[in-house]
Amino acid sequence: MIDCDIHVQIGDPEEFCAYVEPAQREWFRSQGELLGLPSYNWSHPGGWFRHDLESTGPRSYPGTSIERVIAEVLDPMGTDIGMLTADDGVLAGVMANPYRARAYARAHNDWMADRWLGADPRVRGSIIVPTQEPLEAAREINRMAVDRRFTQVLLVGGSERPYGDPRYLPILEACVANDLVLTIHSGGEGMGVAAMPGGAGPPNFYIEWHTLGSACSIMAHLVSLVVNGCFDRLPALRVLLMEGGLAWLPGILWRLDTNWRGLRGETPWLDRRPSEIVREHIRFTTQPLEHTDGHDALLFEMLEAAGAPDILCFSSDYPHWDGDDQQTMLKRLPESWRAKVMHDTAAALFRL
Amino acid sequence: MSERSWHDVCSLDELEGRGHAVARIGGREIGVLRAGDGTPYAVRNRCPHHGAPMCRGEVRERFESELAGTYGDASGLVIRCPWHGWEFRVEDGRCPDDPRMRVAVYDVRVSDGRVLVHA
Repeated sequence: MIDCDIHVQIGDPEEFCAYVEPAQREWFRSQGELLGLPSYNWSHPGGWFRHDLESTGPRSYPGTSIERVIAEVLDPMGTDIGMLTADDGVLAGVMANPYRARAYARAHNDWMADRWLGADPRVRGSIIVPTQEPLEAAREINRMAVDRRFTQVLLVGGSERPYGDPRYLPILEACVANDLVLTIHSGGEGMGVAAMPGGAGPPNFYIEWHTLGSACSIMAHLVSLVVNGCFDRLPALRVLLMEGGLAWLPGILWRLDTNWRGLRGETPWLDRRPSEIVREHIRFTTQPLEHTDGHDALLFEMLEAAGAPDILCFSSDYPHWDGDDQQTMLKRLPESWRAKVMHDTAAALFRL
Repeated sequence: MSERSWHDVCSLDELEGRGHAVARIGGREIGVLRAGDGTPYAVRNRCPHHGAPMCRGEVRERFESELAGTYGDASGLVIRCPWHGWEFRVEDGRCPDDPRMRVAVYDVRVSDGRVLVHA
């Protein structure tokens, strides 16, 4: 089984600051527990973490050590390969100050390489980048990619503009040049310099942010990457869209294909249906697979129209409150989908 | 299908005045519309997508691009549906974006100030 989304946490800010360049350590130390990352306008009223996983103090969250990751997700789920994703750290890409973002991303990448990737043979790493400065982000990807334990570049869903915008090409090109997956994980919408979630102005509640923000940003990146011709420019580009929900996917693809037929003169480089491009280049993680109130068969039939199961990769989202359990997932999935979703699609995507 | 023959649709003055014309020939509605240079084109007056009156569409150049972010080169004239904007090549009525979609097209000529359609 391959788990594509295991969030690791910074338990001890001082441990992290040791990886920050000396001239900037004092600033990061002075920023409190979030270490200068933008804070959430909409926070979970009961906390982000699964409540069955103990937090024994501010430096002992779930996911703060490899021992906890092994004991709480890798071993119990029987994980063969686990993709470690940053948690709050991915918000470096929406910090107001790009120079702090640069320092944060470098420190986080070195911290992950040093503290995590050698600690268990099952884990793989994610490179985070200062998305505000695409050229600098590309340099950071090149710096880290020599360590092949890193398998992906992780961008956050919240963004200044959708990632198909040509300003981000250096990041996409660096992913291709280094044979890394470009992963976009929902989150950060409306935070720091990121655009507001949902497209209708700031919501009032966490439930709005969580329902719309994370799904809408992923939809926007999907459409943007396709219509800007990113996969024509970079045929080897592989994208993984993470934690944006799935039930909307067939609808968006049908809508996009329909619009493409009528509006093709606007993007004449699109020489085939957008849904075909998506099937070829984009994969999706399963969590949080929508609860369908007894309509799972309908959900799977619709997803099949969008290319499932060949586009789906299992993710647990450990240690978050809305994570998916692999046993529950196995029970829900059609039998013929199980091997692909739980292993084969991700293995092909990450060339494992 | 019966042999095609030339049918008088309207006067050139009428076509130029209204910009389009419609005739019922052999039980089918056929529309005539004009390109920017005035050249008339005849097409079955029903888009295969949603049934829009094709005579109210546009004849325009289609551009194909090989490179993202560039707008490419002209690749021939298409009739563009007035509703959803689907395009059909003037030569054979095929939709370049969906091989299942095709609209019947007809030869058209102007003779002695009359617009004639071969249908």
